[in-house]
Amino acid sequence: MSARKRLRSLWAIMYYLGFTPMIRNPLFIAFVFSTPFTLLFILFVASNGSALPYGLAGALTMVTTELGLFVGTDLASYKIQNRFQDIVVASPVSPLVYMFGVALSELIFGAPALIVLFGLMAGQGASVVSLAASLGVVLLLWVTTTSLGFFFSAYAPNTQNAFIINGFITTLLSVLPPVYYSVNVLPKFLVPFAEIIPTTEASALFQGTIGLGYSISPVSGFVVLLASTMLMLILVSFRMRWREN
Amino acid sequence: MKALRAVQLTKVYRKSKQPALDSLDLEIDSGQIFTMLGRNGAGKTTFLRIASTQLMPTSGSVEVLGLDAVREAKQLREKIAITPQEAETIYPLTPRDHVLLNLRMRGLPKEEAKRRAQEALDDLELTEVADVNSDWLSGGLKQRVIVAMALRTDAELIFLDEPSIGLDPVNRRRVWDQLTRLKKDGKTIILTTHYMDEAEALSDNLVIVSRGKVVAAGTPQSVRASVTQRTTRVDVYDKFNQSELGKYGHAVSIAGRFRVLTDENGAKDLGDEAVARGARVALSPVTLDDVFVDIVGEAEKEEEDER
Repeated sequence: MSARKRLRSLWAIMYYLGFTPMIRNPLFIAFVFSTPFTLLFILFVASNGSALPYGLAGALTMVTTELGLFVGTDLASYKIQNRFQDIVVASPVSPLVYMFGVALSELIFGAPALIVLFGLMAGQGASVVSLAASLGVVLLLWVTTTSLGFFFSAYAPNTQNAFIINGFITTLLSVLPPVYYSVNVLPKFLVPFAEIIPTTEASALFQGTIGLGYSISPVSGFVVLLASTMLMLILVSFRMRWREN
Repeated sequence: MKALRAVQLTKVYRKSKQPALDSLDLEIDSGQIFTMLGRNGAGKTTFLRIASTQLMPTSGSVEVLGLDAVREAKQLREKIAITPQEAETIYPLTPRDHVLLNLRMRGLPKEEAKRRAQEALDDLELTEVADVNSDWLSGGLKQRVIVAMALRTDAELIFLDEPSIGLDPVNRRRVWDQLTRLKKDGKTIILTTHYMDEAEALSDNLVIVSRGKVVAAGTPQSVRASVTQRTTRVDVYDKFNQSELGKYGHAVSIAGRFRVLTDENGAKDLGDEAVARGARVALSPVTLDDVFVDIVGEAEKEEEDER
């Protein structure tokens, strides 16, 4: 397949699995907004507005995590329920184009939520440089969680399981660890465990960009995020099965 | 030219002791409609999945359009298309979206894809519902959408795994018409089906597969003729038991009656006996359906005897 055809292929997957469902059923967008913004709202109300920056950092982390993990649910559905992946495998479409297309189509669903959150961060006084750095963090976390989504989709025996696993991992990664709060409030013995979770690092970096100060050094935050991204990509490349055994 | 050549193709799934495909040898000429018949679990889908590069064989080889399905899968995928078994439409896409998605994904330019999508929708009379959310369509319409996705691709060879399942007789014939058209266009069609009339109406050649092995092969006519000693079917409605009927031919119990596949003499003897007993019987020529039951039944019996 030529590069031009690959681009057409990628666009087709994004358009028909991302744009079209988003326009036809805006509930998909509302779904992405629901949990992260509910937690943001609770924090805002309970703290009389003072915890809004933590809420923003947490919501941005959770939206990104969700978007990555949703890819796993979608892939499981296309593979097990729709058998669409069978059609793709037996076609000129490369695994990379398919995976990237599905991942980007998921990102399309999340774009409105991300735009709102970046707008709110700008409203909180984040500079253009900070916002650009945050975008980089979003991308790294998205690659990590998308890889995680790919990984679990390969194990999911059915779509129901994929959905349950997705919900469970989302909670485990973006509600429990210091995502909506500072890592400093954790008991000391828990801090090293929290710091190896990529969502902790991502949220700490977001918190830093909106003026809450860096509870984790930005350099180590980026390093941990980058390392977890690489690790997940390696794991996925070993585990993903295009042709079944 | 051979469209497909399988040599000693074997597949044993990890959690199974029985091979799904057992040293299967098969050759299929290009430009024809080839059908695989077999009971559920006979190995038809496994074969199709291996040949269409979706599944790895345990051993043996399969060459499709001159390309090794394992080592040259990438090149082969440019030339094939499939309709999987029990596929579902994607919410909230319309039939037109489904066909366009497949054509655009395969690299066709927008206008060309649009034109072909309309043709595919017309082919299967889906035009009226072309822009309706597929979730609102009946099961038969959804199945036609899945088939339509493969109809207007550039593929030289199309694999269809039970394409007419869930379709009413009128729509099955619509699918048949399209498969015949594809053959006229020079494409090779390999399909699996449970419908004997479909195999008989469409196939240039067919195989009957049982427990991963080919147990009969040839044209529909030659396969039917292969059971030369059993040309007549006698349906016996009462006053006989199965063991009594065994001496006239191969007797099976079907829906409260017995069906005996026998030769002309056997049919005559059985008819005479039935008249003497005042039993109700009906005579007719054997169909491919009968041949299938006969061949698969014999093959499975022989295998059990060997154990």
